[in-house]
Amino acid sequence: MCYGNGAEEVKALESIDLAIEEHEFVTIVGPSGCGKSTLLYLVGGFLRPTSGSLCLRGRPITGPGPDRGIVFQRYSLFPWLTVRGNIGYGLAEKGMPRAERNRIVDEHVRLVHLQGFENRYPRELSGGMQQRVALAQTLACGPDILLMDEPFGALDAQTRRILQDEVRRIWRRDIKTVLFVTHDVEEAVALGTRIVVLTARPGRVKEVLERDFDVTDGEEFEANPAFSAFKLRIWRSVKEEVEGALG
Amino acid sequence: MKALATAKIIPLLLLLAAWQAASATGLLPKSVLPSFWDVAASLAGMLRSGEIVPHTLASFGRAGAGFFAAVIGGVTLGLLMARIPVIERAVEPILLLIYPVPKPAMIPLFMIWLGIGDFSKIAVIALACLLPVVVATFNGARSVDNLLLWSARARGTPERRLLWRVVLPAALPQIAAGVRTAIAIAIIVLVSSEFISAEKGLGYLIFAYGGVGANDAMLAVVIYLAALGYLLDRCYLAGLRRLMSWHAFAH
Repeated sequence: MCYGNGAEEVKALESIDLAIEEHEFVTIVGPSGCGKSTLLYLVGGFLRPTSGSLCLRGRPITGPGPDRGIVFQRYSLFPWLTVRGNIGYGLAEKGMPRAERNRIVDEHVRLVHLQGFENRYPRELSGGMQQRVALAQTLACGPDILLMDEPFGALDAQTRRILQDEVRRIWRRDIKTVLFVTHDVEEAVALGTRIVVLTARPGRVKEVLERDFDVTDGEEFEANPAFSAFKLRIWRSVKEEVEGALG
Repeated sequence: MKALATAKIIPLLLLLAAWQAASATGLLPKSVLPSFWDVAASLAGMLRSGEIVPHTLASFGRAGAGFFAAVIGGVTLGLLMARIPVIERAVEPILLLIYPVPKPAMIPLFMIWLGIGDFSKIAVIALACLLPVVVATFNGARSVDNLLLWSARARGTPERRLLWRVVLPAALPQIAAGVRTAIAIAIIVLVSSEFISAEKGLGYLIFAYGGVGANDAMLAVVIYLAALGYLLDRCYLAGLRRLMSWHAFAH
């Protein structure tokens, strides 16, 4: 996958071969600029690969679709719509009648604990609340696959931890397939059942690791030796790439 | 808040007081500038007799017609330019050429085309107001964050509806700023257009009073226009803050 052309061409990704099973929670880690987000945008159908192909359930991906919901890092809410309007956006686009839409919106407002903020505009909310709205907006469309592009990268550590638990809880409850990009190794281990490590640019799949222990919601995983060892293992792998990229 | 608003008016009051003092002491002869008091008395007389009302209505009818035509045309053109490259390439050089032309200089030409009545005046006002609206709309529509477009597409908005659902609302804050500039320009061009041929209107009134040397009355109309323009701008901003409460406007 390349950006630009001629001398300005940047090769972002190279020979990515990755298969993702249904109901998996796959996290993708790698050094900054390795093309993690590009990979996600390809799956989302926002970008077309310059070579190679992407298939979803055996059919090639040709563009964005409501079967894949995406949560961006930030600034993806519609500023002119209230929390209610934002969460119901996809449903309104489908032409769903108001009564049914309201029911689903209310359900998702509760899911991300935003009761009482339904009529606020995004600019009136904190970064953490905005990301909750973005998550609810995406989930309300009922996607089979959840794509998350460093959704909690701009948040403070406490808020991030709470939202991580919520995403895991939603994944367990709805058994959606999740593809989650992050630069935070701890986040990758805390969420992913399978962790993909990418190399420095051009990004290639360096290794894929199965997490052979469970992380429960709200668990103090810092106290779990298996967690620490696994995190260290992946961190070393990522660090090698970061150092390689720095020369 | 109230104290601040009161404090803001002090420099203006000082200026008016200085004006009046300069006239009263003979420092500022009446032949150069009538005293503030005479101007104020003249304005009070016009308001009391109601003679200024038909002129106001005639002027704001013209300005309003030109302004609204420009807003509708400007937003449409700006959006089309932002979305369709061919239109941008075709229209941009024309706009750049018209941009530095003093619009009142076009009045004689417009009179030949549209007659000496209201139409030529409205057309000049519309042309002058069009530019800031087009530019603001174009810039606003162009700078829409890609994430918003992607987000909308991922949530089921088809390509042809993006314009209404995302591009236009996202560009609204910038469009609103362009429209604000257009309000001021409408008043400026209105007055020039009424200098040239009119039997009614505030510009006509200024020209007529100036022609007979009634400087106090002439200035009274100028101050009246300034006050109306200021009020219009305030009302517009207040309306905007109410209708677009989702956007954080700079004060």
